[in-house]
Amino acid sequence: MTTPTDTGSETLLETGVEWDMPRYLRGLGGLSIFLAVWWVGALTTQPSYLVPGPVDSARAFVELFTTSTRIVAPLAGLELVLPTGLAHLTQTLFHYIPGLLLGAVCGSSLGLTMGWHGVLDDWLRPLVRVLRPIPPLAWVVFAIVWFGIHHTGAAFIVFVGAFWINFYAAYGGVEGVSDELTDAASTLGVERDLSMLKLVALPSAAPQLLTGFRTSIGRCWMIVVGAELFGAPGVGYEIINAANNLAMETSVAYMFLISLAFLTMDVGFRLLERRALAWR
Amino acid sequence: MALSDQSSEPADSGRKIVVDGVSKAYDSVQALSNVSLSVREGEFCCIVGPSGCGKTTLLRTIAGLEDADSGSILVDGDRVTDPGLDRGMVFQEYALFPWRTVRGNIRFGLDRPACECPDCEQRIRELLDLVGLSEFEDAYPKELSGGMKQRVGIARALAVDPEILLLDEPFGSVDARTRDRLHEELLDIWAETQQTVVFVTHDIDEAVKLADRIVVLDDDPGSVQSTVTVDVDRPRERTSQEFVDYVACIRAEFSHVTDTS
Repeated sequence: MTTPTDTGSETLLETGVEWDMPRYLRGLGGLSIFLAVWWVGALTTQPSYLVPGPVDSARAFVELFTTSTRIVAPLAGLELVLPTGLAHLTQTLFHYIPGLLLGAVCGSSLGLTMGWHGVLDDWLRPLVRVLRPIPPLAWVVFAIVWFGIHHTGAAFIVFVGAFWINFYAAYGGVEGVSDELTDAASTLGVERDLSMLKLVALPSAAPQLLTGFRTSIGRCWMIVVGAELFGAPGVGYEIINAANNLAMETSVAYMFLISLAFLTMDVGFRLLERRALAWR
Repeated sequence: MALSDQSSEPADSGRKIVVDGVSKAYDSVQALSNVSLSVREGEFCCIVGPSGCGKTTLLRTIAGLEDADSGSILVDGDRVTDPGLDRGMVFQEYALFPWRTVRGNIRFGLDRPACECPDCEQRIRELLDLVGLSEFEDAYPKELSGGMKQRVGIARALAVDPEILLLDEPFGSVDARTRDRLHEELLDIWAETQQTVVFVTHDIDEAVKLADRIVVLDDDPGSVQSTVTVDVDRPRERTSQEFVDYVACIRAEFSHVTDTS
């Protein structure tokens, strides 16, 4: 399976972890040059909203945490008052997390079963071929008419995105289980298919499953922002909301917030992954 | 020299494994053609033959991992249809579960509900001792050398206490010195457990070193060429005249194989 995961964050992480001094300095240099170009560009561009400057953006970012906003948790109906940035991030997570988890569980379950069972594979393969290429955001129309463009609708779109990434990861992982290992297991008393799946196929496919999940963490951030541009509440919605008021520096602040949220999740999951796959 | 052809199989009682007229083809290639042989209870039997003579296929059929096209395999008089805990298998490329530690690999067969093991921990400790890997019980397979991996493979197969141990060129990818040590260890284990052992190899020296009886397979199609009983006291010295004679004798069988094919 191909994992079009962003190698950019990988390099970033490695630099941070190893503290390789020359690399660290070069990275800092690149960042400084970017900031300088951005700053000069912002100074020389009129009208100013075309390129909001780094200082204005930083100020807007700080403002996300100095003002507060009231949000309502779905289902529970609980009212929460949080710093504005966190409030909208929480709104996003209300549909991002359920969509991601449900999509990952359903996708990898179907992938495991199809990869393991030749007959089911025969039945479903053409259907998968047809459905798979549809970009998750294309489902937005059905998300709107079925669920309304609120948390549920956005969660549905995220679900679709997470589903396919995890599906293919699991499918490829199970297909790659070596016959030698299943042979060894059957000489050691594993008879039922389900035991073989649990004892051999699943652990053997774990690296692909985890990589698939990590890829879907990143991909679903792109999808969730897309879904929110259509009106679901959250950081994506705030980007376009601020832009509608020509407060472009606030849009930039939210973009940066998304980047931080994604990086945190990615790094966190990588650490988990490394522990879980210590045997590799 | 105790050379006998396939018709004069040991007719005495205690035949643990009986291979009766087994044939097997893959697509158009005939891997085994009417192979018959038997292995006595507690016997150490080596199957030698040139590569591609179907010796691995024969072993896998005894293990129940392959079905014969015709003929049958009997273990204790019962027909083999599936793998079973009565036949432990050691694989050429180890086939260890990489996500399990040494201990976890050895434990694998003991975790099956089919196996009644009142004191698993004790059993695992004994096995770790037996193969000399007590210090490495928490290591993952990737951290082990080839010889150590195969020790784990053997311990894992022994864990469920099978009556028959099947080994498929188990020491093919370890260096010569380690191989010698593993031979000694395997013979010690065999002496202790009294198991019936079927050991596949293409290395004649190895077969003469280990076996009570050597079955030479012909290739194309795989069939029994001859059987040689090795009547030399253990430990056997490679340099002894007897040893050299046996090796020469079997090599002659080999060249006969090559001449006629």
